[in-house]
Amino acid sequence: MALPTVALPGQLLGPATKYAPGPGTHIHDSNIYASIAGPVTSAPTPTPKPSTNPSTSKPTKPLPLLSISRKPSSSSAFAPDAGILGINSGGGSNILPEVDSEVLARVTRLGQRFATVEILVVGGEVTREGFQGVVRREDVRGTEKDKVKVEEVFRVGDLVRGVVISLGDQSNYYISTAQNEYGVVMATSAAGNQMYPISWKEFRDPKTGKNETRKVAKPL
Amino acid sequence: MNTDRRRINGPSGGTSAPLFVQAVKDVGYLQSLRPERTRGPNELRTICKLLQTSIVPSASGSAYLEIPMSRSTTTPTTLIKPSSALKLVCSIQGPKPLPRSVPYSPSLVLTTTVKFAPFASRTRRGYIRDAVERDLGVHLETALRGVIIGERWPKSGVEVVVTVLEGDEDGWWGDDELGAKGGGWGVLNVLAGCITVSSAAIADAGIDCVDIVSGGVAAIIRNPGSKKGNEVVRVLDPCFADHKDIVAACAVGYLAGRDEITEAWTKGNVGARGNELMEGATHAAVGSLSVLKEALLEAVEAKYQGQATVGKLSAKKTETTEDVDMSG
Repeated sequence: MALPTVALPGQLLGPATKYAPGPGTHIHDSNIYASIAGPVTSAPTPTPKPSTNPSTSKPTKPLPLLSISRKPSSSSAFAPDAGILGINSGGGSNILPEVDSEVLARVTRLGQRFATVEILVVGGEVTREGFQGVVRREDVRGTEKDKVKVEEVFRVGDLVRGVVISLGDQSNYYISTAQNEYGVVMATSAAGNQMYPISWKEFRDPKTGKNETRKVAKPL
Repeated sequence: MNTDRRRINGPSGGTSAPLFVQAVKDVGYLQSLRPERTRGPNELRTICKLLQTSIVPSASGSAYLEIPMSRSTTTPTTLIKPSSALKLVCSIQGPKPLPRSVPYSPSLVLTTTVKFAPFASRTRRGYIRDAVERDLGVHLETALRGVIIGERWPKSGVEVVVTVLEGDEDGWWGDDELGAKGGGWGVLNVLAGCITVSSAAIADAGIDCVDIVSGGVAAIIRNPGSKKGNEVVRVLDPCFADHKDIVAACAVGYLAGRDEITEAWTKGNVGARGNELMEGATHAAVGSLSVLKEALLEAVEAKYQGQATVGKLSAKKTETTEDVDMSG
């Protein structure tokens, strides 16, 4: 059976024995059905890393992944109605933080044991509205966790790159910055100037020349 | 009745065109104004081209549905419209994070609101939601809950707000003049419309669903044209103003792809014909589904048009580079 180019919710796409269900689809009676309206894409399944799931028996041939794109792809960022951050930059998109998704968040509050942040970008897509998250003191860095002081690694207003480690409780997503690539990416000094990173734990203010401590993200 | 003291309310008695003495005194004349069903019993009102998505820019998904007034054969001799149309706007807010006070929910929290505009019916409605509107909201929620895959949206809520700009009536306005009471039939048509329009809006918002749900209504009416005068017939998509004696009616939310019913609301004395009535309602739902599908396909094509052209452009670019490579 040939795949339709555009599918509507509830439309039969193919048997689950021939395809793997991707985003925007669901399985019913061992058939794959569309669950949102949009163009159907079929891509070879990325081979899972052997370290992630060694227990599952691998199929002899990976099934093609069927998915329905939720919005025009990022390649259409040249479209005339795209904002400065690409398409949907104005309205934002309906995207939820998931475990293991990389996020950009702004620090809103510092506590003794955690920093409260507002998640603004999930996996490269601007969210429609901010999600509240926390970076607990023990999730700030991977080493010397007990010596972390929240006020020495973050400041209110900093932009932090991190990874979601848990959906958390009713109000907060839990974010970790315990890797070299994660931490503060943009910081403002006490004088209110944009600073630049000089080491893994320090930012420098170009105007006053003072250094401030942060959990600095490794520049990409 | 609790009155709304924060706003300047319109006249409570309604704002329809003047009714002349002839109409009230001469019962025969009044009866001559009664609309009649001109469609066949299995024929639906046409809603082609009157369903549109993405009409509210600030909402994540929205749709507008209009079921026009059934056309009467007689030339109008009065300014009063013989029957009303159904006009609905649905807007969807979210999925968005739940407020702090709401406890953790592993799936999508669905909130539905149905509100009649104050000018939606012949008698003016209030600004505060009344019992009928709350009832409709609960029925709509049941219809939608069965179709949404809520587990895909943990810790988030979605609000479905349907505004009724013009509501279907419970009966002919002349019967109200004569003192007869409407049986609340019109809400069934409103519910079916609400289900169809919010289904379109949900698809527009990109919320995962197992199928497209659509609404349909069927009714059992006493046929005055028959010889005995009390023969009952089943009609699909009834316009309740067209029928004088309604025995029972049913509105369903129907998933055609899976042959499932997520919501059924029956009124009146169904008797032994319950299955037939329900079946008729699902047939009506399938009718509105075909329009719904067409509108959604059109919307998807419009939405992804930019992507298609960009794809073509990039394809062209690779072609040209290949050409250059070959020549060089």
